[in-house]
Amino acid sequence: MKRALTLALACLACALAAAGPAMGSVGPKVVRMAFRTAEAGFDPQRIFDRYSVGVCENLFEPLLTYDYLARPVRLVPLTAEAVPEPEEGGTRYTFRIRPGILFADDPAFKGQKRELVARDIEYSIKRFRDPRNASPYEWLFEHKVLGLDEFAAAAKKAGRPDYDAKVAGLEVRDRYTISIKLTEPDFNFLYILAMPNVVPVAREVIEAYGEDTMAHPVGTGPFVLKEWVRRSKIVLERNPNHRGYELDPRWADPADEFDRAAVEALRGKRLPLVDRVEIYPIEEEQPRFLAFVNREHDLLDETPSDFIEQVLPNGRLAPALARQGVSVFREEAPEITYDVFNVEDAVVGGYGPEKVALRRALVLAHDRGQEIFIVRKGQAMAAQSPLPPGIVGYDPAFRTTQQDHDPARAKALLDLYGYVDRNGDGWREQPDGRPLAIEYKYNAGSQSNRQLAELWVKSAAAIGVRMEAAAVQFIDLLNDKRVGKFQMAGSAWTADYPDAQNFLQLLYGPNTGQSNEARFRLDAFDRLYRQSVAVPDGPARNALYHEMNRLILAYAPWRLGVHRVFNHLQYPWVKGYKKHPILYTNFKYLDVDVAARKAAAR
Amino acid sequence: MTAYVIRRMWQMIPTLAGVILLIFFLFNWVGGDPAQVLAGKISNPEQIANIRKQLGVDQPYWYQLWVFVQQVFTFDFGRSWSTNEEVSRILLTRVGPTLTIMVPVLLIETVLAVVFAIMVAYVRGSLTDRTIMVICTTAMSISFLVYIIFGQWLFGFILGWFPVQGWSESYWRNLTTYAPLPIMLAIFVGLAPQLRLYRSFFLEEINQDYVRTARAKGLPEKKVMMKHVLRNALIPILTNVGIYLPSVFVGSFLLEVFFSIPGLGREIVTAVNRSDFPVIKAVTVYLAMLTMIVNLLVDVMYKLVDPRVSFK
Repeated sequence: MKRALTLALACLACALAAAGPAMGSVGPKVVRMAFRTAEAGFDPQRIFDRYSVGVCENLFEPLLTYDYLARPVRLVPLTAEAVPEPEEGGTRYTFRIRPGILFADDPAFKGQKRELVARDIEYSIKRFRDPRNASPYEWLFEHKVLGLDEFAAAAKKAGRPDYDAKVAGLEVRDRYTISIKLTEPDFNFLYILAMPNVVPVAREVIEAYGEDTMAHPVGTGPFVLKEWVRRSKIVLERNPNHRGYELDPRWADPADEFDRAAVEALRGKRLPLVDRVEIYPIEEEQPRFLAFVNREHDLLDETPSDFIEQVLPNGRLAPALARQGVSVFREEAPEITYDVFNVEDAVVGGYGPEKVALRRALVLAHDRGQEIFIVRKGQAMAAQSPLPPGIVGYDPAFRTTQQDHDPARAKALLDLYGYVDRNGDGWREQPDGRPLAIEYKYNAGSQSNRQLAELWVKSAAAIGVRMEAAAVQFIDLLNDKRVGKFQMAGSAWTADYPDAQNFLQLLYGPNTGQSNEARFRLDAFDRLYRQSVAVPDGPARNALYHEMNRLILAYAPWRLGVHRVFNHLQYPWVKGYKKHPILYTNFKYLDVDVAARKAAAR
Repeated sequence: MTAYVIRRMWQMIPTLAGVILLIFFLFNWVGGDPAQVLAGKISNPEQIANIRKQLGVDQPYWYQLWVFVQQVFTFDFGRSWSTNEEVSRILLTRVGPTLTIMVPVLLIETVLAVVFAIMVAYVRGSLTDRTIMVICTTAMSISFLVYIIFGQWLFGFILGWFPVQGWSESYWRNLTTYAPLPIMLAIFVGLAPQLRLYRSFFLEEINQDYVRTARAKGLPEKKVMMKHVLRNALIPILTNVGIYLPSVFVGSFLLEVFFSIPGLGREIVTAVNRSDFPVIKAVTVYLAMLTMIVNLLVDVMYKLVDPRVSFK
């Protein structure tokens, strides 16, 4: 009896040990953080907000991804065996999927293990063009893959797509091989296949959940969605079917403290290491900040601007936080803020010298220093070109004086082209004598946008130009910018993929009415853009980007704003942290020292 | 009484029709095009037209209005345009957290306001009365937002009496851990105006002839105040609580946002920001119905409180 009892206890101990290798003796490894905006859902082909996409990064896996540590960013294979070389002059890309990759378990699979196959890639790409999905990222595959536009047209006509229909450009060669044929050369296409939206989903899951796919994400990623209280709580847990990763330290920068710490914490370990991730959408800045400093959260993504002085007085981490071992990761985000001139507008638009002079004078009048100091609280860098740091094609040496704050030059330019005060009312008129009044539209729901609008009015007044700021609801502003019902308006763009093309397409003529809000149509620019798409990365393409930059500065369809800087905070028990410029989350590379956290709590 | 209730319910139909028309025209005139948001970063007119088709906003106005009327009578408002979640599910899952906060607020605030009001009304003109009125006036002149920001910082962060924010799946944990601070702050804010209002109700009754007569007849003060004054002052108090009651189901947006409470108030504001018309429609119609039903109940309760009231 005694022996049996001993045996039973030993078995129980073994079972417990086997059940919780990652938990150790101090409990599960949990990472807790807040999102500053609520998520929409987790159907990767139907979402576009960065928070929903950020969660999907952990649930699904694209063919390719980015190396965690490499800067500038570097594409690496994820579910594909290798990063393919462009074929047929950059019009064909062939992928072989690693065999044995499993989807997370789901009732839709009827108790069977479900392996990722090439048909899943084909199905997922087709989903972007399914009119029922109204995919916000449909543009990624518009006029891109051979035969896919016809598939979309037929789907639209029939009201539903025939997913079994063959698309010439999506060639499934065998169980694990898919070859994608493009309509024209695109050397950035691989970046699209690394986007967290462009991920395989299983057809049987999508069909099983019908309208509820936002709530039933089933992917091959390292985590599964364990709990979701919409707009309140998102809980991820490790996917037991996941094969595991290993950190590749080859691209780590030994001079970078975050790289060194990540390599030290993660080298040789099977990732992911955390058992559970808890995400709380908190829109207000104070509770988000207090939840971190109260140690209810382990990470603070993007320190709220209202608290930047408390966190980084004089640019250094506050002593109270430093004493607790908190570290700050300063991210120069791959994004740009800018003001758009409507180039089709009768007053600020046009390509004639006097029209260009007016826009350039307004750009010179704008006090960007005040924007950075007051509105951005010092957490921004003045943009020198439309391309942010970290983007392929960005030239750190490139400097321009055409975006400087220089009211004297602005006034001289206006005087030269006949924008003078003819009636003595203190405001300049147009060269033909008509009144000169410019309206600046901004999002009524944002305090910083209101401040920016006030700064514009003040800056324009300083050179004698009458400007009025018009507060508009966000939705109306989007529409006005799409249809060209504005003179000037604020805007911003964050990189979808790390190449200059993603930013320069914002001024490509044929994109007018879509992403080209300025409605800028310059043949020289469009010609250069088309050439750049057909050229692989290298000095030749960079030269084209440089020339396009020059044209933007010369014709001034934009007033370049800033590249914002975000400060991300972590407690010392979070190991392996490094913010990636393109991917939003990094949970699979994190580790948590549970004992250290418990000790700190005491 | 049955005839009165039936008549009142019959009168609700034109009111509801007015609400439906008002929401419909307001949304279509000033609500903005939801397709603009749902279209994402880059979209062409064709894609926007496709989204409008999916949402049904490309249909003629009369048809959209007919669909709305059908939804009201079938209680099926479809799915949220922004998250694709069923609207009925949104309402059912969000109303619980809202009530967890707002029901205790209503009960505690009403009881405290009535008790304090009757006390200060009884000692009208005294130092206690004046001091409490000054405190009430000061408390009323401070914004709710200030209470929340300061209260969260002081009680949640500095003193550590409560979590700064949060919500769980357990009702008791919410009620005992996460709800007390927002409830306390809501009571701080709501108590002062209620107290002043109820005090005026009591003062009006105290000055009535029947109170003087009761005192002249030698009734003890306790009986005069609790039986006669309180009972007669209850009618305007009931009216006031009745007006306040529907808002209990909508919650306080500020509390829910600052304390991460997944309630209806937060949902409604998000829906308005995202032009999520199905959610806006459902909440507004339900709220209108609730207001009408609560008003009817309050009117019926008048009869219970005051036998002189008759239903005509």
